[in-house]
Amino acid sequence: MLTRREFLGTTSAAVALAGLRKGSAAASAQRKRIALISTVWFYQSHTQHIGDRFLVGYPHQGAWHRPEMDVVAAYVDQKPAGDLSGERARSFGFKVYPTIPEALCCGGEKLAVDAVLIIGEHGNYLKNEKGQILYPRYDFFKKCVAVFERSGRAVPVYNDKHLSFSFAKAKEMVADSKRLGFPMLAGSSLPVTWRLPELELPLDCHIEDALMVGVGSSDPMDYHALEAMQCIVERRNGGETGTKSVQLIEGDAVWKAGEEGRWSKALLSAALSRSDLLLGKTLEDARPQDLVGGGVLPKIVPHPAAYFIERRDGLRTTLLMLNGAVADYTFACRLKGSDEILSTQFFLTPTPNVTYSASLGSKIEQMFATGQAPYPVERTLSVCGMLESCLDSKLRGHERLATPHLDVAYRAPRESQFCRA
Amino acid sequence: MGWLTRYIEIHSPPMPRKFRAESFAVNSPPPVARPKIAAVVTLYHKYSHAQHIVDRFLYGYGWNGGHHKPPMELVSMYVDQRPAGELSASRFQEFPALRMAHTIADALTLGSGKLAVDGVLLIGEHGVYPKNEKGQTQYPRHEFFTQIVDVFKKSGRSVPVFNDKHLSWNWNWAREMVDTSRALRFPLMAGSSLPVTRRLPEVDFPFGGEAGEVLSIGYGNVDSYDFHVLETIQCMVERRKGGESGVAAIQAIRGDEVWRRMQAGSWQAGGWDPKLFDACVCRSIRLESARQSYSDVFPTPRDVRKLVKTPVAYRIEYTDGLKATMLLLNGLVTDMTFAARMQPSGEYMSCLMYLPHREVCNFFSPLVNQVETLFLTGKSPRPIERTLLTTGLTAAGVESLWNGQQRITTPHLAVRYQVDHESAYWRT
Repeated sequence: MLTRREFLGTTSAAVALAGLRKGSAAASAQRKRIALISTVWFYQSHTQHIGDRFLVGYPHQGAWHRPEMDVVAAYVDQKPAGDLSGERARSFGFKVYPTIPEALCCGGEKLAVDAVLIIGEHGNYLKNEKGQILYPRYDFFKKCVAVFERSGRAVPVYNDKHLSFSFAKAKEMVADSKRLGFPMLAGSSLPVTWRLPELELPLDCHIEDALMVGVGSSDPMDYHALEAMQCIVERRNGGETGTKSVQLIEGDAVWKAGEEGRWSKALLSAALSRSDLLLGKTLEDARPQDLVGGGVLPKIVPHPAAYFIERRDGLRTTLLMLNGAVADYTFACRLKGSDEILSTQFFLTPTPNVTYSASLGSKIEQMFATGQAPYPVERTLSVCGMLESCLDSKLRGHERLATPHLDVAYRAPRESQFCRA
Repeated sequence: MGWLTRYIEIHSPPMPRKFRAESFAVNSPPPVARPKIAAVVTLYHKYSHAQHIVDRFLYGYGWNGGHHKPPMELVSMYVDQRPAGELSASRFQEFPALRMAHTIADALTLGSGKLAVDGVLLIGEHGVYPKNEKGQTQYPRHEFFTQIVDVFKKSGRSVPVFNDKHLSWNWNWAREMVDTSRALRFPLMAGSSLPVTRRLPEVDFPFGGEAGEVLSIGYGNVDSYDFHVLETIQCMVERRKGGESGVAAIQAIRGDEVWRRMQAGSWQAGGWDPKLFDACVCRSIRLESARQSYSDVFPTPRDVRKLVKTPVAYRIEYTDGLKATMLLLNGLVTDMTFAARMQPSGEYMSCLMYLPHREVCNFFSPLVNQVETLFLTGKSPRPIERTLLTTGLTAAGVESLWNGQQRITTPHLAVRYQVDHESAYWRT
């Protein structure tokens, strides 16, 4: 078993931190106390990647950063073989409680923490008819809210990935945070990881067309791709205005839609030019390829999907899920009045370090420390809604669905939030 | 392009002033609208340098948001070794216009008896070649270069040459290659992708800035990946105040002695500034964890010793006083990072030289793009003096290890050059 002392070891940063802890009871009292609420905690799960950042620290701007806050309590919903929560609790001196309220109250009657991390990804949960995994994020959140209400005090909450599989539930979660006045941050690492190159659209620009390429399964991975696209297009003039309609199509209809101009081949070509993980013949002999111009996409992507998202201000955006073509996430767009296509890759740094979760950890820490979410939870809410409606479209024979309920309007943060330092 | 080589001054023996003056004006052959290119390579298998570089001329590559086809024709290729499983056969089949040359001279003359191409790719990496007693693989870059130059001499005409990685395992041969390119007045470009690949974050050594000490961590072996890490250091520090003035001494250390140096805690005590080490570690995105079930954890010195079985350190003393440490730490990282302590501020800068590591290995793209510039303009977009110096450092490191890890003085490495302020790494 590792002790906290062993972890702090002899590193310079650790020595400084240990000194701080020994030196001042006041400083110790000021350290924020975190409750970690998780579905499951195994090696390379989201909980391990994000939760560990608050235990052992993380690389940040060329130094190892240790958050001045402590995980003091945890709740873990499932503990299959490989569960790490017991070892982490022993090593870092916190307790794993049998219920969420007990974790938030550290075994007492009232809220006894300063912040809550909810990480409801992975674990054995049912799927619904839309193919969505029914992760209990809403249930976890509501239990936290009940403790807040009972205690007459609410604290910042981070919710990993989308808020819920259900837009209605997600909306209620955001409403709860507004009603009780606690800061809330949600979403994944895509918006905050490195971009290759460092593309950011000017705030209040006018976007003509935007296209995202993603890979992986639904609904975990299409969420990431939609969120990546959202964090860029939300910077347009007027901000995000809400989703007017969605349509999800699959198979040959995707290529046909490309021929008909429903999505732009030029944007796809630009996006794929940013890929560092080409598949197809590249896997065989490492050659670079022109996947669009060479006409090979239909041969290597047997099950394409296109997610068409029409916004209330008229902007049309497309997500193409192209399993078999690439293994990374890329984006391209064109601004109004310009022939230039802007493109980038959302760089998911390699396993097992996945340092992109350090970028996310840093944003979470920032909210816990300051009480201010660095970007709006409405982004996540908006993406929850468009994803659920796209999956509804798929279920209803790929028809276009008007989405008057997706009335989530918000403004992007003025400052860019992705990793550049 | 962005830099101008102002002068080269190689000591031992000192060169006549006239030679230095002439070297201002590297000959620029008149640009050709669509240059014909010959490739001279040792081996063409999946993941070989030849495959990555030559394939980009054949298939194009992602560049600046589009699929870029170099505006030139690869017309011939000489492949020195063709073992089972190599790929040149399939490339010749797929590109029938590509001449399968059985000699280097034929690749350059296309059977005409005279130089018939406008640029030459010399890629002498990978393949089975003898090793000498010092452990250096004797890739035949100098031999290939000599045969290329023979064609130039016979034809009374020279064209630009790109030499992949360092010029030669042999310093004297490397210097001769540079001297020959100057004598025959053709542009020579060399080196690897490290100076031009993407950086995380997108930073460069401040032009005209001063550093007290720098450190770079890499992985791989002596006489191969050490060159890449040395190039990482060099492409940064050559931007310092006063430009490059060369290296006065080097000491290579291997094994437990490296850990004693690490413990020393400073350059003056025989080691290095630990903050430089930490900065590099914190820029790595492929850092081995010493703790089971923890995917990303800062390694204690004890962890580092546990993870790395055979550490290698090069201590480099520049003539102007700059100190540099190069570390090969197999087992700790599988990427290359750089850190500098600037002065007088005492602030640290650091970055990762990002090498996308899967099949397509896109870090070759910015290198090939520079080679295209060489062929199109007749001017090398990077100083050959950088590669000459790093070639000499690579050989001197091996020499120091061979000589019982002794510090050796390197008067022959007083290579002076000055780069322009414009950064050349990939950020578009």
